[in-house]
Amino acid sequence: MKNILVIAQNTLKETIRDRILYGIMAFAVVFLMFTVFLGSISLGEDLAVIRNLGLAGIYFFGMVVTIFLGASLMYKEFEKRTLYFILSKPVRHRDVIWGKFLGLVSSVTLTTILMAVVYLAVVAAKGGGVDAVVLEAIALQIAEMGLFVALTIFFSTIAAPLASTLYAILVLYIGHSLSLLTSAVKTKPVIVQKIVLVIYYLFPNLEKFNIRNSVIYGIRIPWPELFLSLAYAIVYIILLLLAATAIFKEREL
Amino acid sequence: MLEISRVEKAYEGRNVVDDLSLAIKKGTVFGFLGPNGAGKTTTIKMIVGLSRPDAGTIRLEGRTPQDPAMRAMIGFMPEAPYFYEYLTGLEFLKFCDSLFPEIDRKPDAVYTKTLAEVGILNAANRLIRTYSKGMRQRLGFAQAVIHDPDYIFLDEPLDGLDPIGRRELKEIIKTLKSRGKTIFFNSHILFDTEELCDEIGIIHQGRLLYSGPIGHFTKGKSLEERFVETVKAASPAKA
Ligand SMILES: Nc1ncnc2c1ncn2[C@@H]1O[C@H](COP(=O)(O)OP(=O)(O)O)[C@@H](O)[C@H]1O
Ligand SMILES: [Mg+2]
Repeated sequence: MKNILVIAQNTLKETIRDRILYGIMAFAVVFLMFTVFLGSISLGEDLAVIRNLGLAGIYFFGMVVTIFLGASLMYKEFEKRTLYFILSKPVRHRDVIWGKFLGLVSSVTLTTILMAVVYLAVVAAKGGGVDAVVLEAIALQIAEMGLFVALTIFFSTIAAPLASTLYAILVLYIGHSLSLLTSAVKTKPVIVQKIVLVIYYLFPNLEKFNIRNSVIYGIRIPWPELFLSLAYAIVYIILLLLAATAIFKEREL
Repeated sequence: MLEISRVEKAYEGRNVVDDLSLAIKKGTVFGFLGPNGAGKTTTIKMIVGLSRPDAGTIRLEGRTPQDPAMRAMIGFMPEAPYFYEYLTGLEFLKFCDSLFPEIDRKPDAVYTKTLAEVGILNAANRLIRTYSKGMRQRLGFAQAVIHDPDYIFLDEPLDGLDPIGRRELKEIIKTLKSRGKTIFFNSHILFDTEELCDEIGIIHQGRLLYSGPIGHFTKGKSLEERFVETVKAASPAKA
């Protein structure tokens, strides 16, 4: 357990000392400011536009940071052979995987909270308040980012950063289209439906984490549903990290 | 006691370590010598638990390298090490030390003392990104000894150092030896490693050609001369 925390802390240091992170964050803040301008040209719909675009922006930049940093996290350790230092010490493979996971989750959570603070400040400046549902949306976004940290760690134990990034984007796309996909094949042949069913169970259903529309209309999400979504993310993360550990153990360094 | 028994390792269907057996007693300084590509790094990686033998066993005081308790007893310095460039030398040393199961935290003085011993104290708070090759080598050595292990494994420890650096590091190795540490090091350079070793192993194309006291091997000749003779005799004649 101690080793997991030591590696997590080092990973957090690694990511928050990465200049690329600040580049992306600067873009995010500029974008959040820009929503004010877009709001002002929308004839009386200021707050709705700011809320809509602001949350989309936090999501977009949050995912960019997550996938970008996650896709190279393990790969760098293999490539640079820094694992030689770690694994020749009394450290287990799973300590490395979980440490990397917790470290990156902490840093993407911090950046998301930072963006959320800027967002709430912009909303407040335009006369809006903080709804509980906004916080729920942010919490679910962090759950989705956690899932993608686990996913990119899993991919980057077997693939190069560019491939991991592409796989992650593919999962992101499919994961948000699952409901659409299943309803679209209702009239198709049984075999096509079966294939889609397999995809449905294999890929994470990411729409569970998207309640940004509810924020616009101020609709609260019931607690059980919220917890179910979080539990879903946690189970998925555990499975991915177990698989990543198993692959990592067998890999020739 | 380190016991390596009938160890084999193949890469891409080729045995790069072949039927290797060695027994190294506690307190020995053992030089594992061989030309480039002989299988030295492959061997040391198996000893420190970074890779597993295809056949045979490795035991340190009865424990296998896959046992974390075995790895708590050793220090390892990789060949031409890469580091976390975003850490300072001091941060890196602390990070390495904190991966060992120790209850109480050490005061900073312990770390700065080790950094001073390897001669990079003035760079302790600089990012490793700015370190020269020699400084990296010294930091790699420092992290191998920071938790005061009984067994120390060094892969080409003198590589990339200037003559003064080599001398300094050799002095540290001698000090460690006088404190009863067991030291196993790889080297493809012979001329100034001779003075360090109690025993040597000669490996060539994955096979052990000699192991034992250095005097038995050299028989009055220089180590280099005997080494070249032995390796040549073991190589298939070139057409
Ligand atoms: N991961 C690997 N995959 C394939 N071949 C390898 C690998 N590691 C080492 N080798 C090969 O094994 C042989 C021994 O390498 P190594 O142990 O690094 O030699 P040394 O350290 O004595 O110079 C070399 O021919 C090298 O190319
Ligand atoms: Mg080598």
